[in-house]
Amino acid sequence: MTTLSSSPAAASMRKVNKYYGTFHALRDVDLDIPPGKVTCLIGPSGSGKSTLLRCLNFLEDYDSGEVRIDDQLIGYETPGGRRMSARRLREMRRDIGMVFQQFNLWPHMTALQNVAEGLERVRGFSRPEAEVRAREALAKVGLADKEANHPSRLSGGQQQRVAIARAIAMQPRIMLFDEPTSALDPELVGEVLGVMKQLASEGMTMVVVTHEMGFAAHVADRVVFMERGEIVAVGSPREVFHDAADPRLQSFLQGYRERNSLEF
Amino acid sequence: MFSFQTIFDNLPVLIGAARYTLLISVLGCAQGLLVGAVVCAGALSRRVWLRRAAALYVSFFRGVPLLIQLLVAFYLLPVIGINVPALVAAVLTVGLCAAAYLSEVLRGALNAIPRGQAEAAAAIGMAPRDLWLRILLPQALKIGLPAIINELILLVKASSLVTVVGIVEITRMSQSIASATYRPLEIYLAAAFLYLAINLVIAQAGRLLERRLAY
Ligand SMILES: Nc1ncnc2c1ncn2[C@@H]1O[C@H](COP(=O)(O)OP(=O)(O)OP(=O)(O)O)[C@@H](O)[C@H]1O
Ligand SMILES: [Mg+2]
Repeated sequence: MTTLSSSPAAASMRKVNKYYGTFHALRDVDLDIPPGKVTCLIGPSGSGKSTLLRCLNFLEDYDSGEVRIDDQLIGYETPGGRRMSARRLREMRRDIGMVFQQFNLWPHMTALQNVAEGLERVRGFSRPEAEVRAREALAKVGLADKEANHPSRLSGGQQQRVAIARAIAMQPRIMLFDEPTSALDPELVGEVLGVMKQLASEGMTMVVVTHEMGFAAHVADRVVFMERGEIVAVGSPREVFHDAADPRLQSFLQGYRERNSLEF
Repeated sequence: MFSFQTIFDNLPVLIGAARYTLLISVLGCAQGLLVGAVVCAGALSRRVWLRRAAALYVSFFRGVPLLIQLLVAFYLLPVIGINVPALVAAVLTVGLCAAAYLSEVLRGALNAIPRGQAEAAAAIGMAPRDLWLRILLPQALKIGLPAIINELILLVKASSLVTVVGIVEITRMSQSIASATYRPLEIYLAAAFLYLAINLVIAQAGRLLERRLAY
């Protein structure tokens, strides 16, 4: 449908298949993630969006095909070959940020410690240097004044912004978001989407699983629609939301409009 | 006639003996936590044989009375060529026994930590060592603290069993004072209050620690 750029993909999937036992969760998935762009993944519940996202940083292992980050195969030494070493996998994951639906902050650490931890333990910065960088990241998500708070003393939206700060502080080359606003009260969604928009405007490569069609329509450069473990449609927001040809996509969008009676 | 004088006269000796009670229970608990963490890691391992070994460990040390374990250690160690003072053997045995209970405490506490926290650590490339030392164990110790304090109090009382390998702690000392002074009631009451005082202090310290660790 669209050709975005000729520059090499920031991440790519080739004929990726994933099974949970006998359940076929990803079917021959082919996908290129363009660098510096926002790719939104939409589709009905259970269609495999999270599974796809989690294969990109190998939190979920795939059974066949190739997943590459910046042209480097992740998870296996060679396509279909042996598992890559745990150390090598950790090195690759340093450069892939991930934000979860449930935030997954470490509750025994303050906001600052949550962000500084990876900088110190994984990136190897000294504690003071890690804290300087962690403060910068917190300032970026608008939480400079909350660094001493533990997660239990933060609202859901603030917790998710700390989680984003934790990921961007590592200076990843790509950021994965799995329904980052789905666990939030409606009035807190905006502050998180705002931070994500700002990241997008700075040219971060982002892959976002979302039910926020408004975000997908306005911020995404590319929208990917999945159903039953397959990629059914890929295109610009306009192509996917307005010129949808595939009946499965049409009925998904129809259902969404009925539930939300929103314009996008 | 009840003689308070007997209590005052013998209290210093009893308190002296309490050193051994404390030494054995506190060191035993500390060792129990260390060994318990290892056993717990085995119980949660992906490797079947490690899980089996951990289960075997727990059922053995939980299923055999501590008194028998102490006697076995006392008579077995010299036979296999290990000659250590009775006190060392006692601490080691108490610690190994406590580890069986504490590994279960830690396992329960670890299960209470949401899986997503380990995923978040994995996603930034954190090594297992840091995941355990920085994320999982600190929280497990906090969640398990009430149960750990409970175990420590049980150990203070169970430490009277080390008498069988010849260590003179509170209970043994009060027995010998009682028979020397012919004042068993006074002496045993003194011993009872000494145990009570120790355990009250431990319980209070536990509560303070719990409050300090709250987040
Ligand atoms: N660990 C698992 N074991 C077995 N089946 C799984 C597992 N994880 C996911 N599945 C199944 O795989 C399918 C895809 O799951 P996935 O979580 O990727 O869907 P999703 O598109 O993210 O859905 P949602 O919008 O509800 O988050 C679902 O049918 C789910 O039941
Ligand atoms: Mg999902």
